[in-house]
Amino acid sequence: MNYLKGTAAVVLLWYLLAALVSAPIVPFPHRAAARLAVSLTGEASYLHMLFSLYRMAGGMVLALLLGIPVGMLAGRLRSLDQVISPVLYLLYPVPKIAFLPVFMVLLGIGDVSKIALIASIIFFPIAVSIKDGVREISLEYAELASAFHLTPREMIRDILFPGVLPRIFTSLRITLGISLSVLFISENYAASYGLGYAVMNHWIMADYTGMYAFIILLSTLGFGLYLLIDLLERVCLPWKS
Amino acid sequence: MTAHSSKPPEPLLSVAGAEVRYGTSRAFSNCSFHILPGEMVSLIGPSGCGKTSLLYAIAGLLKPAGGTIQLQGGGNACSLMFQQDRLLPWKTLLDNVLLGLDSSRRDEAASLLETFGLGSHAGRYPHKLSGGERQRGALARSVIRRPRLLLLDEPFSSLDEQTRESLQDEIKGYIMKHHTAMFLVTHSISEAVFMGSRILVMTSDGILRQRENPCHSRENLRELDEFYRLEKILRSDLSGIPGRVQ
Repeated sequence: MNYLKGTAAVVLLWYLLAALVSAPIVPFPHRAAARLAVSLTGEASYLHMLFSLYRMAGGMVLALLLGIPVGMLAGRLRSLDQVISPVLYLLYPVPKIAFLPVFMVLLGIGDVSKIALIASIIFFPIAVSIKDGVREISLEYAELASAFHLTPREMIRDILFPGVLPRIFTSLRITLGISLSVLFISENYAASYGLGYAVMNHWIMADYTGMYAFIILLSTLGFGLYLLIDLLERVCLPWKS
Repeated sequence: MTAHSSKPPEPLLSVAGAEVRYGTSRAFSNCSFHILPGEMVSLIGPSGCGKTSLLYAIAGLLKPAGGTIQLQGGGNACSLMFQQDRLLPWKTLLDNVLLGLDSSRRDEAASLLETFGLGSHAGRYPHKLSGGERQRGALARSVIRRPRLLLLDEPFSSLDEQTRESLQDEIKGYIMKHHTAMFLVTHSISEAVFMGSRILVMTSDGILRQRENPCHSRENLRELDEFYRLEKILRSDLSGIPGRVQ
């Protein structure tokens, strides 16, 4: 219901803006929606969406695969943290999009460089958040683990991982917006599929209604990913609800 | 001399001249006592005298800076129940009881929860339970390991009076039935008298005094004159020691 209200407010503002500007660059929402409906009858728009989804999901999974162990190790082993933390804090604030050319030279102009770029954005908040989470949990539950003679594996499985899981979901949610922005930019180089490519391609051809149709699709992708993260969180953290 | 002269039982726990330090500051020193198999011992003393540090040293969570702590059967022979329940919020009560144990003991854990009146709560998460239920769950997690010595660190301190007394009855009954030895650390004199067949009075310089509790296993203990007499004696033992005791 709240989502419907939010959508209604955005559409209303869009109508007002379109009426005020009264130029092709801001078409009325119903025109963009009609154009989207037409686009969805062909397979191209689905391909654009699937490519973008694949790059986003790939980036998220890669960031999780790297960020979880790095954060856990830095949180558990102080000696390792003295090496890891300065690197994390130095690289965290650097705008990763600046490294797009480097990624393209090193990893090629295909999907791998785009996925790596998205992963590099999500990796840092996840690693830092897990590191801090592990440290807090360690203080609280290390005695419990010692008292009940838990093995290091049991400590990770029963205490550390479930303890930092809420932080992982929060980090994913926070980084989703910026990841979509980077996806958009990266799809404008050496790509022939992807929502970012589709938006800019329609803009170049001065097809503004088509451009807005794909902006709606890109927003829908982001919204869908937010809902997916919420759903996964509810499934993985039943004790939170 | 008879051929069957009875030998005194070997202590389950022997603490001799133990000392625990946090850096340069001393938690306690020169602490000596023993606990026999199946014996229920309470330890009282003012805040900051090192009671919990002593308990943690016995459980192996702290390394003594001096003296010896010997427990028959090693670290696995004891099980610690913390002051706060420390149930993991992401595990159900049943899974909390099974922490660090093989899942083949699921039925045993469920039946233990049944014993403590928590059978219908096995699938609930800790935040859905009351303080008393959480402490019972923590007790189940400690006793399922079948310890020879149960270490209790003020487990009743956060509970209201009614829940506290009913949980004391429950724990005492369970321990006596299973002939488990108990070492209870508490601030409360009446709790120490109710739970312990022997009560140790501790200061940071070690065990100051110990008192036997001859009426420990009698029914309606809290209503007996002996209960209040011993409480009074212990209060006078503690009167000269600075610090808070209830």
